[in-house]
Amino acid sequence: MAKEIGADRFGDFYIDGGKVRRRREWRGVSDTLYDYSRWLVIMATLGKFVMKPRNVKAMFRYRWMANYLAVPMMVDRHTQGLRGEYLRICHTEQDLVIDDVAKLLDSLFRGDRRMGNDTEFSKKVVLVDENEMTAVMMGFPTLKCLSRETPSTYVSVLLNQHAAEHYIDVAQEFGLAGDVCPMPEAEAGVSIDDDAPVLGACAVQCNTTCDGSLLGNGVISRRLELEDGIPVFQLAAPLRHREDDVQEYAAQEIRNAIAFIEKHTGVQWDWKAYFECAKRVNYATKCRQEWLEMNRTPYPQVFGSNLALYTETNYMAICGRVAAFEKADRTITRLARQAYEKKMRAAKEYRHRAIVWGVQSHYYMDFLVWLLNCWGIVPLTDMLSMVSTREIREEDTPENREQAYYDMAWLTENMIMRNRTHGGYRVLLDELWEFTQQFNADMVILWEHMSCKALDGMHGMFEDRARELGIHLVWVEHDLFDPRIISRQGVRDQINTYMRTVMREEPIDPSLEVLHDEESW
Amino acid sequence: MSNIGKTLLKLLGKLLLIALGFFVVTFTVYFFNLDMKLTAAIEPFLLRHYDKIERNTHL
Repeated sequence: MAKEIGADRFGDFYIDGGKVRRRREWRGVSDTLYDYSRWLVIMATLGKFVMKPRNVKAMFRYRWMANYLAVPMMVDRHTQGLRGEYLRICHTEQDLVIDDVAKLLDSLFRGDRRMGNDTEFSKKVVLVDENEMTAVMMGFPTLKCLSRETPSTYVSVLLNQHAAEHYIDVAQEFGLAGDVCPMPEAEAGVSIDDDAPVLGACAVQCNTTCDGSLLGNGVISRRLELEDGIPVFQLAAPLRHREDDVQEYAAQEIRNAIAFIEKHTGVQWDWKAYFECAKRVNYATKCRQEWLEMNRTPYPQVFGSNLALYTETNYMAICGRVAAFEKADRTITRLARQAYEKKMRAAKEYRHRAIVWGVQSHYYMDFLVWLLNCWGIVPLTDMLSMVSTREIREEDTPENREQAYYDMAWLTENMIMRNRTHGGYRVLLDELWEFTQQFNADMVILWEHMSCKALDGMHGMFEDRARELGIHLVWVEHDLFDPRIISRQGVRDQINTYMRTVMREEPIDPSLEVLHDEESW
Repeated sequence: MSNIGKTLLKLLGKLLLIALGFFVVTFTVYFFNLDMKLTAAIEPFLLRHYDKIERNTHL
């Protein structure tokens, strides 16, 4: 038990073959009490959620709800080893995300025909994909934009590495291909298994981001439209998003989506609300840029999973629509500045500065924390955090109203993952090497998501360029949602082997090198 | 000390005891990860329950 950063042997917290950890960390009096107080807040959020009978009923109806038993453990995984400002940044983000997901679940079950069956509420609900920019909802403040896939699959796998296995198997039992991305496959599995809440006036699906995504959307929309009577709009954003000649088409898709929502909900687009959201989008962008600027220096502050998880939520799922995230942006920036001025570091030793590229393993999101604690590799930024930094128009004028369609289209085209996995090799390949220079990185951790055909095709080109530039390129294979294909230890072993054989280094914390966490949440 | 003062002191004492008891219990649960150990024990029962639910499973 130690107050000092890096004095603990973190591997000792794991129970071999166990689901949970032995105990929580002692971080010194002040940080332990802070972490304990945040744990109490999380327990209060969960307690408030289960006070409603319909939510308890949903717990016993939907298989994926069992994963929410692991909420506090998810936070523990991401706060491992953190002290001071880093711990506070992590809690500011994670606690807000937990609160937001709890509200999302509560709203889903309120309108769900099987649970709350609040039909008036359901008429105000627009369903969206999990992997979809919610920009088209910025001008509908009285409507509820809800994603069923976010809590059933996306968040579930963050909570429990095994969460999607049942649904992947269900989808494949019904003949869906086993070599597509397991994320949309699991989402389709939830729909096939009759395990999705049924509600909403209409739904908007997006062609994001691959063959698997299109497959999954097809299965889900068929059930929504033909069985549940919920009309679905297919928002087909252009893939070559850097080309000028696709932007008019992209803007027209946004106009069509808005008209579709207006038609099915009877609610008119509100420009005042849109521009308020646009201001918050710009503020979030400004903050993210400041964090990335710090990460270019020897004293990075908001990095690793602190950067990745929060950006995914704030940029894509929130998109300026929730004021609480603006407050969180401000708090995180204040804490980051404080830590930067004090030249603080999150671990006892920084050995390598890395850019993490590719689509990360979802069942092992705390791998970034492990990289830092085990090998001293600082994950300065990751592909999914390198999203649009363009400022969108935020003043309500006739010209800006027209430009707003292009801005929403731009955001939709440049949503997380899609802005790198599609759009040509410049956005995926060339810009990576520009970032390694900008961030003064000596290493690239390159996720190879084996079911992602968009990335796999460029394997050789990545290797050629890394060799030319003298950058250490470490491939890490995984299967996104399915740890049965490559386990967490299988992921770690690829780094361990590289670090020992190529870099000839010893781990900073040897207790983390091999962990028997196959059964862990 | 007046009767009101004594009653207030007693009340304050009781409140402090309750707060201390709450802290000791919850901090023990927190530190030894007892909340997660309990929920990990519940999960298998829930999974068995889900297997028994009849569903309209189809493409």
